Amino acid sequence: MLRKLSLWAASALIAFTSLHFELQESPGDQLIGVWEPSNGRSRIKIDKIGAKYYGRVVWLIEPNDPETNLPKTDKNNPNAALKNVPLKGYRMLKDFVYQTDGTWSEGTIYDPLNGSTYNCIIKMKDKNTLDIRGYIGVQALGRTDVWKRLATAPAKK
Amino acid sequence: MMRRGIWALALASSIGGTLWAQSDTSSSAEDDFSQYDNLGFVDAGAKRFCSPKIEGLSPAKLISLGYDYQGAYNLSAGTLFNASGAELAAAEEARVNATQGLRVGFNIPVISKTNLVWQMGANYWNTQYQYATLPTAASNPLHQTLSEHGMRTTGINTTVFKPLDRKNFLLFQGSADLSGTYGIEFMPAQYLRYSAALIYGRRPTEKKQWGLGLARTYRVGEINYIPVVLYNSTDALNKWGAEVLFPARAHVRRTINPRNMIFAGYELEGQSYRLWRDPASGVDLRNEDLEIRRGEARFRMVYEFSLKDFIWLSVQAGYRFQYRFDVDRLVDGVEIYRAFGLLRDDAYAQTNGLGNPLYFNVSLNLVSP
Repeated sequence: MLRKLSLWAASALIAFTSLHFELQESPGDQLIGVWEPSNGRSRIKIDKIGAKYYGRVVWLIEPNDPETNLPKTDKNNPNAALKNVPLKGYRMLKDFVYQTDGTWSEGTIYDPLNGSTYNCIIKMKDKNTLDIRGYIGVQALGRTDVWKRLATAPAKK
Repeated sequence: MMRRGIWALALASSIGGTLWAQSDTSSSAEDDFSQYDNLGFVDAGAKRFCSPKIEGLSPAKLISLGYDYQGAYNLSAGTLFNASGAELAAAEEARVNATQGLRVGFNIPVISKTNLVWQMGANYWNTQYQYATLPTAASNPLHQTLSEHGMRTTGINTTVFKPLDRKNFLLFQGSADLSGTYGIEFMPAQYLRYSAALIYGRRPTEKKQWGLGLARTYRVGEINYIPVVLYNSTDALNKWGAEVLFPARAHVRRTINPRNMIFAGYELEGQSYRLWRDPASGVDLRNEDLEIRRGEARFRMVYEFSLKDFIWLSVQAGYRFQYRFDVDRLVDGVEIYRAFGLLRDDAYAQTNGLGNPLYFNVSLNLVSP
């Protein structure tokens, strides 16, 4: 009888613990939202999948390829198999993990303009501003872009 | 009772699994991308600024390791006069089989923000002259010092890009160089030579930027203040473009793809080199306060391509046209500013002539994100 009660209690504890951890928002979740890079040519929606953060292209100022007049694809990707993948919906930020120092790192950023993937670290300057630094190997060899958070409701004109 | 426990465990796993799935904040409903069309900044005070680059521009080089080679030509060293006009050394022509050397450059972004981009760099160029017949102590000192020491330039540079709004920007470029026919260990800071340019520009579209400004430059062979024109553009199909900072350089760009580019155009190179010669081996020039005013145009084709990821190879070949290689004398330690002969018309201490060979340059580059 005691063994059965213990099993029941353990099960309930697992359920409660899971519920507790999942309902408590991680500080890393501040990253979730829609962001605009400094050039204003695209908008990126950052989501959390599992314990990692990913960002995909949800808007392009120039959605169609001027050469074909069809929706832009990832035609500069060095991998021929990916050249026909639509840019809208493309996951250009991958695998970011929130760190105890308040940054998101261990991820990569992809530049569709040249088909290159860079190491990347994200710092939140304030709740509506991100420093996105793409770099090659070491952070000194890189460039920082500033992204601004967009309101998810339509803006007043 | 045991069954109830298993049910509880299953329920717990189920709740956990459901919540785990809910931590994927993306959803297929977001494939309706029209919901992102009319969004504004959360921060009402946020402003958009133009970026320093345009679409399709060739990538900036963070690190560059290059080798430059000029073919054979005749170097006609003129008579060298001292400050009072007396002859120090007679004119003499010599054959230079090759002029070659290492060219290394670094450019590191220091600040890269939406409203300010600041970059610092350093460069080192070594140019060695290989004479067909080695000059002797009796030779014209220009030949002997070039043969023995070659010419070197070591410098630092900075670029500041300040966007004013979405269309307008200011661009400042500055450099300080120590150049001479000897090593950096003999170059006191008083011989630093400064160049700078300030440009006001506009970026009307993502594929075009232009600007007008003023430069203090040695590219035309001696110190000058000249107007400069910036013009960068890329056509609608990203096939053709122009990269111009006139008069320093101008190139037409053909983009095969973003990792393969061909350029045709020219670049002006120029610097002022402190002239020195070992007093033990000929005429003592230590007290003559002389500098070589080098100015040349390089008409060329350049092919730049990605070897692997961010490592690019640049290969260029063309014709080197020397329009000045004269030796000038400082007056009380100060350079003569002639303004193309409009302000002053002082004679050079030595007027030299160089043949114009073919040249090539190859460099390995780490390019910027």
